[in-house]
Amino acid sequence: MVPDEPLSLEREAAAHAPCGLLTFSDDGTIRYANNCLHRWLEKAPGSLLDTRLDAVLSPASRVFHSTHFFPLLKLHGVADEIYLTLRTASGTDLPVLVNGVRETRGDSPLNHCGLVTMHRRKEFEAALVEARRAAEAATTAKDEFLAVVSHELRAPLSAISGWIHLARSGKLDATMMHRALETIERNAQTQAQLIEDLLDVSRIISGKMRISPKPLDLAPVLERAVETARPSANAKQIMLSAALDHHAGIVHADPTRMQQIVWNLVSNAIKFTPKGGRVEVVLSRVGSHARIAVADTGVGISAEQLPYVFERFWQASPGGRREASGLGIGLSICRSLVELQGGSIRADSAGAGKGSVFIAEFPLAIAFGPDAGAGAHDTDAEVLAGTSLAAVRVMVVDDDAGSRELLRMLLQSAGATVDTAASADEALARMRAERPDVLISDVGMPGKDGYALVRALRADPGIGRNAIAAIAVTGYARPQDRVRILRAGFQAHLAKPVEPDEVLALVRALAGSAGSGST
Amino acid sequence: MMPSETIIRRNNVTFAGRSDGPVMMFAHGFGCDQNMWRFVAPAFASTHRLVLFDYVGCGHSDMTAFSRTRYASLDGYVQDVLEICAALDLRDVVFVGHSVSAMIGLLAGLREPARFSRQVMIAPSPRYINDGTYVGGFERKDIEDLLSLMDHNYIGWASFLAPVVMSNSDRPELADELQASFCSTDPVAASAFARATFFADNRDDLALARVSSLIIQVREDAIAPMAIGSYMHTRMANSELVVIDATGHCPHMSHPGLTLGAMRTFVERGLGSR
Repeated sequence: MVPDEPLSLEREAAAHAPCGLLTFSDDGTIRYANNCLHRWLEKAPGSLLDTRLDAVLSPASRVFHSTHFFPLLKLHGVADEIYLTLRTASGTDLPVLVNGVRETRGDSPLNHCGLVTMHRRKEFEAALVEARRAAEAATTAKDEFLAVVSHELRAPLSAISGWIHLARSGKLDATMMHRALETIERNAQTQAQLIEDLLDVSRIISGKMRISPKPLDLAPVLERAVETARPSANAKQIMLSAALDHHAGIVHADPTRMQQIVWNLVSNAIKFTPKGGRVEVVLSRVGSHARIAVADTGVGISAEQLPYVFERFWQASPGGRREASGLGIGLSICRSLVELQGGSIRADSAGAGKGSVFIAEFPLAIAFGPDAGAGAHDTDAEVLAGTSLAAVRVMVVDDDAGSRELLRMLLQSAGATVDTAASADEALARMRAERPDVLISDVGMPGKDGYALVRALRADPGIGRNAIAAIAVTGYARPQDRVRILRAGFQAHLAKPVEPDEVLALVRALAGSAGSGST
Repeated sequence: MMPSETIIRRNNVTFAGRSDGPVMMFAHGFGCDQNMWRFVAPAFASTHRLVLFDYVGCGHSDMTAFSRTRYASLDGYVQDVLEICAALDLRDVVFVGHSVSAMIGLLAGLREPARFSRQVMIAPSPRYINDGTYVGGFERKDIEDLLSLMDHNYIGWASFLAPVVMSNSDRPELADELQASFCSTDPVAASAFARATFFADNRDDLALARVSSLIIQVREDAIAPMAIGSYMHTRMANSELVVIDATGHCPHMSHPGLTLGAMRTFVERGLGSR
């Protein structure tokens, strides 16, 4: 019979369509579910009929259904693209997108729904939601930042113009005139520092922060910072003291940036410590690291705030009440600078009002002895004389034969004993057999790369953690790459194309103490 | 204090019924707005003055008045209710609250008892998250999932609003009534309301309530389990419990007849005692 055919085809289509079809009444009873939906929910065909819709929804979806989806259907007759999570018989969650329409012609209204799965879309949307949230947070932070910046830039300006106005009036005596000039100078410096900080943030964000690390003794840096900060400490009657271990060791760092880090931590400590408090700066050696600790008896940091102190634009007194001035970028700059130099920084506090301590740690440049600092950067021809690498054993690893041979010839000409390897595995095997003083390795190699090699080397019990000094050779010279190189376990880094003088100086410096403190 | 017109606009306060009658105030629950009362509120129009409103962040409220801090807990919503009462100088109100609004009403009554004479609590719960032997119906994880589900749904915000246009064109006679959107909730405000609602714990406040209360418990409610009704009833002096033989969390929408049946006597008794 002809009329039967379209009907049965329709039925077939509904039964076999690769999407879920569902009808439920207002009281939440399932009145129809197609084969596909039964299969998705791992139910025997037909078993969903007359059961509760709630039973196949996740708890969260039950709430969303009751408070959003059903009211929408009831009031508007339609609801499109609602995201819900079904719960299968075995208890797993199945994300679906639902379109619903309400049919009110009969005695009891029915809600008809079409469902499609959205495994992939869900991940995509989750990323989208996250991105939007991050963008919103960033915008808010930037807005607040702009407001703070304009306030902070204006404050020194008004002091400057105020005092200039007074000076112009001709009513100031010599003492007051002196004070006026002092104040103007101080405020101009403050503003210059603010602008410098802003530029730093921009450099850090765009990855253009340049650091020039060299062997550095931290004690003099800390001494200078403490002396620079002493006048402001005295003004607040804060006892500023320093306990510096002059044998803490040499680190590989940029002197100017290190100065900036320490100065920032010390001036922060003074800023957040009330009159009559104490600030103490300590330099010590902890394992293979030099540790700088700046402790104060100031306002402290609550446990909730602690994780955020190094976030950009974070302020010690959030909300409308801003007791302390500043851009809220000092500590974030600090962290970036510390990390760019292979170090780490953290804050600790027993809670609000109980003082705080900021601890920065830098890996010791183990190769540099107490007086190697000058030597390493002494490019004097005598230092590079051919005999300078006599008795130094070097392992050169590079998958490129040309580069390998270049280094071999260079080092041999300086008197070194050179072994080469074309892969990380080969190098490891050789080093286990015969330990060199210095390893020079390419970073980008097929298979195990330079990072993997140095990590394996540092973890190898047969060789000893710090027995061999390691130098990375790489074309990447961005600061973040440098951080990664140092973190992986290299002591130093050479940028391609390598400078022969630099290679020799570095190998000589590193060969000096490698192996002395190891197994 | 803010001028009363500001409050009326802020909370989209609307009026119906007998202007000289005793006041009945209808407070919507999470996820909805005052539109949800349209199946039960008209039944009281001949005896009462009906006051309906949207919480800030919901329906047609003034979204610019939303504050994350104020609406981070139920307290902000309690303030909305009390500020509306003050703006309209309301006393002896019969407060009808759905779901979380039942608790908001109870808290408002504790603050300013003179404002309220009776309260109808539809599908209420003093705490949604299980706690030891207390069965709230949800685990904390479920609520986190709900917040994520809301994020996903509000991202397709445009499609949420789409049905409004469609239903208006299909059924122009409803255009005025619907004019905008049920569920036209701001995503940020909705998320705040969800947190305030589902992370609230007001079990200790139940014993403080003095106003005469009707608890309407739905037999099969996915949000407020059966045991909650009697839990509240045993702790609230001056309360009555009615279990209606229905399913779902919005009986005033899905079963308006049954809901009205449960409410009517209680509300009328209030009239008699005046």
